[in-house]
Amino acid sequence: MSDQNTAPQNEANSPGVTRRCLLASILTTYTASLIPWALAQSVDDRDQGAFLAVSAIIAGRQTLDTHLAKRLYDALVADDKNFPAMAQQLLTLINTRKIDPLHLQRVLDTEKSPLAGVPRAIAAAWFLGIVGSGAKARCVAYEIALNAVIVSDVLKPPTYAYGVYGSWIAKPL
Amino acid sequence: MPDLVAADFVVIGSGIVGSTVARKFAQAGASVLILEAGPRVTRAEIVARFRNSPRRSDWMSPYPPAPWAPHPIYQPESNNYLVHAGPYPYEAEYIRQVGGTTWHWAAHAWRNVPNDFRIKSLYGVGVDWPFGYDDLEPYYQEAEELMGVSGAPNTGSPREKPFPMEPVAEPYAMRRIRERLVPAYEVVTNTTARNSRTYDGRPACCGNNSCQPICPIDAQYHGGLAAQAAETAGVKLVPNANVYRLDHDERGRVSAALYYDPDKVSHRVAGKVFVVAANGIESPRLLLLSASDKFPRGLANSSDMVGRNLMDHPSTSLTFDADEDLWLGRGPQSPSSIGIMRDGPFRAEHAPYRLDFTNISRVDGATNALIAQGVYGDEFARRLRYSAARELNVKNVLEVLPDPDHRITLSDQSDPMGIPKPETHYSIDDYTRKGHERSQQDFRRIAELMGGSNLRFSKEGVYANNQHICGTLSMGSDPSTSVCDQWARAHDHENLYLAGTGVLPTCGTCNSTENGLAVALRTAHHILAEHKVGRVPAPSGSG
Amino acid sequence: MTIMRFNVRTWRCTVGAIVLAAAAWVSVGVFAAENPDAALIERGRYLATAGDCGACHTEPGGKPMAGGLAVATPIGSIIATNITPSKTDGIGHYSLEEFSAAVRGGIRADGQRLYPAMPYTSYAKITDVDVKALYAYFMHGVEAVDHKPAETQLPFPFNIRLSMRAWNWLFLDPRPYANDPGKSVEWNRGAYLTLGLAHCGACHTPRNILMAEQNSRLLAGADLGAWFAPNITSDDNSGVGAWSVDNLIHYMRDGHARAVGQAAGPMAEVVDHSLRHIQEADLRAIAVFLKTVPAIRDNTDIKPAFMWGAASDAFSTIRGVAVPTDRDQWSGARLYEAYCATCHQAQGQGSFDGGLPSLFHNTALGRVDTSNLVMTVLDGIHRKPDVNMPGFASELTDRQVATLGNYLMQQFGNPAGKVTVEQVKTSRAGGPSGMWMIWVAQLIMGIVLLAMIGILYVIWRRVVSSDKRAA
Repeated sequence: MSDQNTAPQNEANSPGVTRRCLLASILTTYTASLIPWALAQSVDDRDQGAFLAVSAIIAGRQTLDTHLAKRLYDALVADDKNFPAMAQQLLTLINTRKIDPLHLQRVLDTEKSPLAGVPRAIAAAWFLGIVGSGAKARCVAYEIALNAVIVSDVLKPPTYAYGVYGSWIAKPL
Repeated sequence: MPDLVAADFVVIGSGIVGSTVARKFAQAGASVLILEAGPRVTRAEIVARFRNSPRRSDWMSPYPPAPWAPHPIYQPESNNYLVHAGPYPYEAEYIRQVGGTTWHWAAHAWRNVPNDFRIKSLYGVGVDWPFGYDDLEPYYQEAEELMGVSGAPNTGSPREKPFPMEPVAEPYAMRRIRERLVPAYEVVTNTTARNSRTYDGRPACCGNNSCQPICPIDAQYHGGLAAQAAETAGVKLVPNANVYRLDHDERGRVSAALYYDPDKVSHRVAGKVFVVAANGIESPRLLLLSASDKFPRGLANSSDMVGRNLMDHPSTSLTFDADEDLWLGRGPQSPSSIGIMRDGPFRAEHAPYRLDFTNISRVDGATNALIAQGVYGDEFARRLRYSAARELNVKNVLEVLPDPDHRITLSDQSDPMGIPKPETHYSIDDYTRKGHERSQQDFRRIAELMGGSNLRFSKEGVYANNQHICGTLSMGSDPSTSVCDQWARAHDHENLYLAGTGVLPTCGTCNSTENGLAVALRTAHHILAEHKVGRVPAPSGSG
Repeated sequence: MTIMRFNVRTWRCTVGAIVLAAAAWVSVGVFAAENPDAALIERGRYLATAGDCGACHTEPGGKPMAGGLAVATPIGSIIATNITPSKTDGIGHYSLEEFSAAVRGGIRADGQRLYPAMPYTSYAKITDVDVKALYAYFMHGVEAVDHKPAETQLPFPFNIRLSMRAWNWLFLDPRPYANDPGKSVEWNRGAYLTLGLAHCGACHTPRNILMAEQNSRLLAGADLGAWFAPNITSDDNSGVGAWSVDNLIHYMRDGHARAVGQAAGPMAEVVDHSLRHIQEADLRAIAVFLKTVPAIRDNTDIKPAFMWGAASDAFSTIRGVAVPTDRDQWSGARLYEAYCATCHQAQGQGSFDGGLPSLFHNTALGRVDTSNLVMTVLDGIHRKPDVNMPGFASELTDRQVATLGNYLMQQFGNPAGKVTVEQVKTSRAGGPSGMWMIWVAQLIMGIVLLAMIGILYVIWRRVVSSDKRAA
């Protein structure tokens, strides 16, 4: 995880600092094995830790922008106050049943799990930068949404210039 | 209520057509007033709204409707402004604000091909236009020089003079398609109102790939620029003026336009000549709303043809994965197409069509698809890159024949201003459906030539609406079967003219703006000569 | 007595021979004058391009060298003359000597002085050989245009051209460039071009109160109305010392050097009309010379102007927040996003190939003086062949330009640079007014006049009183 964009906070002096922990401490061996690059990341509390862990599992081998993570987390909680609890439950489920990320949604859908919407919400948040649905939907990120980042060596997000006139003639490298 | 400024010319609607016509009148020395239902808006706001939008694929999301002059919205829920009586919905999107709908078009600026004007005589379908290609040619040129249009040469529409600039540079993906489809298909660079160099001070395209819903740099012409030019020429433009009625005198001459401001206070504007240019749905709506004792069916409607013959260019499409990396999304959204099915003897049997290759980035679409499929982890990035690199889409742009049962009427529901909403009656007939079926052969062949896999046809029976609203104010020589004459003057009212795509009596296979604009320029030229306004300049495209 | 031996016939033959020879010489001269060496004319054309004569003497859209362009100066407009070979309205009647005196000495053929808006103090460096070539070009390579532009009318006391004699005596060094034998051929070529034809100092060297270039601060930067010409001495922080020779060549030839900076405003015109046509070897010579110009540092420059900033954005403050309807309430981030980010990208990184430049590592945002930044936002950048950054003067209010400017400097540039609303207002008007110079000059003249009257009065009084005593 990249922490160069950590939002400036004075955690050392704020109350509740004892809840701050390393991600590794809240993961079992299985889930830790899915996201080895994330283990040294420190998180504000176990709720955000669960969100970050599930995010890392869903987003795959990415460096996750911690400033964006906080904003997405806040937006997800604002959209549904049960989100932190459900993220915890999902992490526990993945831990205990050792579910592969590629099977996760199918398992939840087949079992009509009440958690079926959680991976989708997290995926939409990170990949599209969008939280919530219908009239409540909000764009929290566009240029740094992961779907833009994943193709950023070849494409710019729509409305952003590809380059000077004619630069699109050449084969993309 | 007191009269506002009485102008020589009162134009209803500040879209690309209304603004251009108004500007011509002002340049000839007349006093001109444009009444626009919606608000002013800036390009910067639209760009900011798009990037902030939670529904980027909803191209109307940067254009929230004004409560006092709503336009149809379909997401996240329909606002039911446009009522659909069926059997098939006509889900047009249009924008009621200064500059109108072309803020968010793909800038296709094709001319008809000459046979488009005579499909009744040639193929026994539809109707003939009241004039021919040659009559319109100089006005096509004028429209193209005004907008800054370029395209491939020799695409079936003869020209007296060249385009004002070179065709827009071809994206790599389109070049590969062109190279691989030869000789079965000739892929041509689209004729578009998009800059391949600085034109009128506006920069050349920089590949923002967001033509729809907004070109962030005005490299693409649009109605906002036309409205600005009109005001610079001296036109008085009144926004937030929702015209709900046209009054007439005892001789049947239109005497005044009545409009509501956002507080629903009524205002009255007198004029000598009225031009209704409020798009192909709002214009007939206004005429129908203007019913009186003398004209119980509405203005210009002794033929009962106002609102009838509603047409569009429906589309179906094929999405597939090519066998090489092409990376759609680099350059403008709509660069290339195939035009061989625009005309031919088959038009006696089934609809003609263009085949459009999209260059719209696949990234958001593929992301949504992958999330819906529950693809997470490493696999997501891999599959997203694959789709972004390989996915292609080709769609048809089908002709629809004029059918009097396809129409715009007044709904019994009213909008927030208490004005009856427009209601659509529409279906896809056999002629168009057979054209769609014939195009499937082309879709398959194209996919084959591109080494296509994972073919996904658009849902059978579902036709996308392209917002090319034609026919509802049809021109014609016979007053019993048309609304206006070849100069777009209403048969019933000597000082009422109609402008926009609604006057086009058939829709051909090309996006309707260039046709609508050229016809309106011809109308404007005629009006200036008829009403002896100032010096009437020859159209810049004439020989 | 011997003279009587010349008979008339010999005399006639001799005179005839002399006349014929003279005629032949004159006709050869005329022939040569009417059909001069094409190579000489081409050389003259190249030198005229290096000297950018057309920058002032060709009105945009007008005939080449026909004059008419009003050059704005702090004391009023100076209208460039017609220097086509028109005999009635141009310099067609100038001899080579008269041409040389005008170009290198600031003296017109009719004896009147030129104002130093014509950079004759720089052109004084041009060698005799090059002046000949320029003369050939102007007489034979330029089409004669019979049209006289308006006369320059400056306010008193600047309309007294005679005052230029004193000015020239003080500030004109009439000596053509002489090679420094201790330096390379390339360096000398660069010095010759920079100090002479290219007259870089005319903009880039600060001027004293009498508007003469300060030779002790050669190329240390100067204000040009709403724009300023930056320090291009060899100082690493304040000048171009940290630029590579290639950076400088690209800047001059293409109008931009990737991750360094780009030419805008008056410098864009110099690139368009002059530098991009100059041979690369000459551009290299100029670059080599520039990097030896004595370094002059402004201590507020703590690092090279092109080394400020990094990719960053503040879009988290606007994403998910509704777009305010009053655009004067838009934050710098929102203004940047809606007006600039399209080309310069969300994090200021520019396009893949740098054709749409990055805003960090860009001199445009690297200086404490933000005048050029403001002018670029207002006017845009327009260079040949088709570089077009649109200007935003008609789309942004003064307040918005200031908000945006401060965002740009903080986010991507030198955070010591600030933009104020007042500054934007002034820039739109074309820069600070030079009216004060006129008032000061008139005040000084008034004081001098009063002093002279006073002295004369005292003398007259003394004469009167001594007369009285004498009486």
